[in-house]
Amino acid sequence: MTVADQDLVRHLSEASVSVELETEDMTLNIGPQHPSTHGVLRLVAKIDGERAYDVKPVIGYMHRGYEKLAEVRNYPQVTTLLNRIDWVSGYANEVPFIVAAEKLMEIEVPERAQYIRLILTEMARISSHMVFMASYPLELGAATPLFFALRERERVLDLLESVTGGRFHPNFNRIGGVKPAAGSGSTMRKQIQDLPQGFLAETREAMDRIAEAADQLEDLVAGNEIILARTKGIGVLPPEVAASYGVSGPNLRASGVPFDLRKIEDYLPYDRFDFTVPIGENGDCWDRWWVRLEEIRQSSAIIRQAVDSIPSGPLQAKVPKVIKVPAGETYVRAENPKGEMGYYLVSDGGQGPYRLKIRSASFSNISILPWALEGAIIPDIIAIMGSLDFVLGDVDR
Amino acid sequence: MSPSETTEDVATDDAVVEDGPLEQFAAEVAEAVGGAGHVTFGTVKVTVDADRWKESVQILRDRFGLVYFSWLSAVHWSNDVAVGEPLAEETTERYELLCTVGDLSEGKRVTLSTDLDPVAPRADSLVDVYRGADWHEREAHDMFGISFDGHPGLEPLYLPSHFAGHPLRKSYPLLSREVKPWPGKVDVEPMPDADDNGEDDEPAADPDAPSTENPEA
Repeated sequence: MTVADQDLVRHLSEASVSVELETEDMTLNIGPQHPSTHGVLRLVAKIDGERAYDVKPVIGYMHRGYEKLAEVRNYPQVTTLLNRIDWVSGYANEVPFIVAAEKLMEIEVPERAQYIRLILTEMARISSHMVFMASYPLELGAATPLFFALRERERVLDLLESVTGGRFHPNFNRIGGVKPAAGSGSTMRKQIQDLPQGFLAETREAMDRIAEAADQLEDLVAGNEIILARTKGIGVLPPEVAASYGVSGPNLRASGVPFDLRKIEDYLPYDRFDFTVPIGENGDCWDRWWVRLEEIRQSSAIIRQAVDSIPSGPLQAKVPKVIKVPAGETYVRAENPKGEMGYYLVSDGGQGPYRLKIRSASFSNISILPWALEGAIIPDIIAIMGSLDFVLGDVDR
Repeated sequence: MSPSETTEDVATDDAVVEDGPLEQFAAEVAEAVGGAGHVTFGTVKVTVDADRWKESVQILRDRFGLVYFSWLSAVHWSNDVAVGEPLAEETTERYELLCTVGDLSEGKRVTLSTDLDPVAPRADSLVDVYRGADWHEREAHDMFGISFDGHPGLEPLYLPSHFAGHPLRKSYPLLSREVKPWPGKVDVEPMPDADDNGEDDEPAADPDAPSTENPEA
């Protein structure tokens, strides 16, 4: 560009600012089938030029009424539904519900079963974050990380499948422990069945690869100037606002709040493992990406420690054949890949819940969208939505 | 309004471990908000009168530092149920409004509860205190028909705009179950005696029984 050209550009850009343009508000419907929504979310945005105002998310396209259905099912049947809330990390959804029922029944779960739950929960976290690692750069226009991330996720899903028999909907927890592993017979036989042979060794190997893959993903994405420009300083969520909306999980930690239920609640024996809670500095889209990448590393470290120290023993506590949960109520929450997932379980002593309130992470996480998208330019809407990493099944329940 | 039988049972069960930190915290919160507190299976639950609902939540946020809004929902306590099993013991018909808030460091959390009128349930909106209450109150309005005074726009969140009824009320039938009984019923038949050997533990397969796979399909 010559000096004269630069002058011309400057002149033009100043000219465009000084001209009073008459603009007209326009309503833009985004969705319900935009690829960045992981389900069906519709945004109704008022657009003034390139900027969006008064954005209203419209949800409910995936509402399946699980809270109502839970009232007509018995306890073992309810977990089948819960797998399908956040299908990207189906296994992790079961745990807090089962723990809530066990609390009311005052059942002590065998250590080995607790370790298996913990290992599988962390695998679900890695697989969920890997989907984010794949889809988020794609939403910003970078296709390559997708192949790296999904390939590694497949390793984790293979391991999950070898234990539970399912990639997405394991339905593997039982009140009092876990189901005997896939392929080793039905629950009704009283033989002792356990983790598939070679599972622990394969897990160790896979976790080494996951750690390598995290480095690779960092190399691919963190050095990419376009991604940095699209995410740094975009969609900043101040911690007070995020907490007031109930935003949790990596989205809240990216805003600098070290709030991790694995460190606070006792639903699984996380206190025996050494791991850190990564937090962001600015609460922007970039920090939300980075926190999740770091969590993949931490989860793989937790799994490696758990595999090394898993005790032997039974997989099931003694429970009655027909599960009846004594009257009472409790709220059990867990750190799911997307944030706080909890169940408020009210039992009247029957075979099914009297009321089951499902507190899902994505629901609260996207309730901040109208605030976060106020005044954002249209391409940033996609960047901000994608960075919140929600699943519509987890929003609508 | 009288607390339900269930709550009372729980309170007596927990009386054994009176002096744990959770119990102390529950008593402290109950005193500050002017309600009754107890611990139910690790959950601090504080019951207040409906007219002190918003004020109590404000105290939780400002005096106890519970700045994180977890959830808000309700339980419909009813003796007359269209779905599921009726309550084991008779209860006072009412809506119990619940709201859980917590802090961001030590993991303290309180579930605040209040009883609402069974005919025209209404409560003060918490949107001014916690912004996140907006969607949760809209959901409770959809599902239970609870009105929230002072809510900026109590439009349907999940339901179509002309939907009649409130699905999570116990009086609301689950229509698909009315038309066709839940096929999963086959699973809850009493199992054979636990002392049988090996193979016989499988329940006899009924070839005419509907599949339990994917009951919603």
